[in-house]
Amino acid sequence: MRALRSSALRLAVGYISLGLAALALFAAPLWYAWRVTVEDGRAEVLQADAQRLADVFTRDGAQGLISYIDARVGLQIAHERLLLLADSQLQPLAGNLTAWPANVPTLPGFYTIRVDLGGHGTDVALVHTRLPDGYHLLVGRDIARYLPLERRFWYALGGAVAILSVFGALGGILIRRALMARIHVIGQTVSAIMQGDLTHRLPTQHAGDELNTLAQTINRMLSQIEQLVHGVRNVSNAIAHDLRTPLAELRARLEELSLTRPSPERSFAEIEAAVADVDSVISIFNALLRLAEIDSGMRRSGFVPVDIAEVATAAVDFYQPAAELKGVTLTLRAVPAPVRGDPVLLAQAFGNLIDNALKYTPAQGHIEVSVIAGGGGVQIAVADSGPGIADADKDKVIERFYRGDVSRGTPGVGLGLSLVEAVARLHGSALQLQDNAPGLRACMRLGHDTRPIASPASAAAPQPGELQHEPVYL
Amino acid sequence: MKVLLVEDNERMAQFVLKGLAESGHSADHAANGRDGMSLAGGERYDAIVLDRMLPGDVDGLAIIESLRHAGRRTPILILSALSEVDERIRGLRAGGDDYLTKPFAFGELLARLDALTRRSQAGGVQTQLTVADLHIDLLTRTATRGDRAIALQPREFKLLEYLMRHADQVVTRTMLLENVWDYHFDPQTNLIDVHISKLRQKIDADFERSLLRTVRNAGYTLTSHD
Repeated sequence: MRALRSSALRLAVGYISLGLAALALFAAPLWYAWRVTVEDGRAEVLQADAQRLADVFTRDGAQGLISYIDARVGLQIAHERLLLLADSQLQPLAGNLTAWPANVPTLPGFYTIRVDLGGHGTDVALVHTRLPDGYHLLVGRDIARYLPLERRFWYALGGAVAILSVFGALGGILIRRALMARIHVIGQTVSAIMQGDLTHRLPTQHAGDELNTLAQTINRMLSQIEQLVHGVRNVSNAIAHDLRTPLAELRARLEELSLTRPSPERSFAEIEAAVADVDSVISIFNALLRLAEIDSGMRRSGFVPVDIAEVATAAVDFYQPAAELKGVTLTLRAVPAPVRGDPVLLAQAFGNLIDNALKYTPAQGHIEVSVIAGGGGVQIAVADSGPGIADADKDKVIERFYRGDVSRGTPGVGLGLSLVEAVARLHGSALQLQDNAPGLRACMRLGHDTRPIASPASAAAPQPGELQHEPVYL
Repeated sequence: MKVLLVEDNERMAQFVLKGLAESGHSADHAANGRDGMSLAGGERYDAIVLDRMLPGDVDGLAIIESLRHAGRRTPILILSALSEVDERIRGLRAGGDDYLTKPFAFGELLARLDALTRRSQAGGVQTQLTVADLHIDLLTRTATRGDRAIALQPREFKLLEYLMRHADQVVTRTMLLENVWDYHFDPQTNLIDVHISKLRQKIDADFERSLLRTVRNAGYTLTSHD
């Protein structure tokens, strides 16, 4: 019964029934038309014949009709036409029937009956007419020759039904087998995926077929899921790996405090340091949450027209004092560049890139932030004159929690560049790390926005402070 | 000031209530949305501190919306464990005045409450601000201290304007980031301190009395008097 529940078989059965119904609808009127036309025609011809004979009777009397019939019978070659004139006692007077057929009713009318014709029964159509003075006239016709035609019609109809059913059933079985084979493959792949191997993909074949389209869609979904799961795995690994250190320090600090019970002054200092430790853990958490938020792609709904140049200008302005303090020159080269994006995230991406550059650029060094339009897009770059990154390490730097050289003791957790990378990906771009000879050049390309520009701030949230956003005056 | 705290987490509530009491403010506490709603609707408060997510059928946003619907203009500070920018925008759109993500330092909460309540008291459009002998003109965008003109970069001017509008209040680094730079993320460096020290150089360096002071573990304050 499993086969009956198969959708392919149900479909085949449905189609067969539909075909049979159509055939019946086609055959029934045909059959009806055949019957009506042939029988009506036959009756008309016989009636006309009977009428002609009746006219002869009226004109020439009984004897005249007898000789007329005899002449007709003599001319007739086959016994296809039946003629009989009988008296009121039904005794034959003329015609090619030797006796009045027993089963012909005595009432006049048109009948289709089986009569005995010289030893063998035959189906005949006949007209029984009463003539004046009690004479009976039978005009009939052998219809046996139409029977093969009728039979052929029924055979043809039966054959059509048989072919329809057989091919329908066969087609259903074949379609079902083909479908089951492909569904089986899909099922196996999905089972493998459910067991945790997200790299599996559904097999796809020549284009155009519905199942293939479905498989391609599912594959795209799987890629998305794989990426998300990968992100989650990375983040959980990273959390386990990197949060343990500050938490261990915090724990040690508190334990020491509770064991040694130092003077209040020292205790307060230790407690403050512990709060700072917690703050650093919280800031890692915030960065992770932000990354997860970006990775989910949900932020794309908040895209608004942004002028990248304004965002870059604000970021350079924000980091300028820090650069001055470190003796690094921070310059900006920007042209108005409208894009669609998330102003908050783009600002954070610039901030992280400049922050990263500042960390690694020595005094007297130089950092240039540039926003260059061209090629139907915007090229954003932050280039520094620091030590740069070895080619082999470029991919690793973008990995979460990776820090170029931990022993150098630069502050911050290695999430900065991976956040920039996530922001780039959200905006349909990718973070590229190039050699600035010497130094690092981090850049990404964004597509131009063709819509009118709005200032990034006006598109952002309503502000709690009473300072309304000024037009940019930098 | 009199504050209503709507917060379901007992420990967090005690932390805030104790902090408010120590700062000389009185506070009522509601542990769920229903109590919060009836207290907020019945009593007059100077400010409401509201947890975004509350147990039961009345959540923080619902309270804000019904208060605003009833025409109550009480300043509302939203507390939330949801840090997504979208959540913040939703909270503010619903009628909240400020949004603070948990966990937070108490100093941050107090400074923001202070800013909210004073703002609701101040009225009218100001074109000039004066704090002690420091004076800025918002139309000509010029600053003077005593009789000496001070040259300021545009962003420095904006920073000073914000500090002057909140004179004698503690202004936290996050408040400055959000309101002066419109940055709703933590740049993880003490850049605000660098900006403040540059500003301090310009407005305080050559004067006997320092106006811009650092408040330990909290932020900065521009003082109008000693």
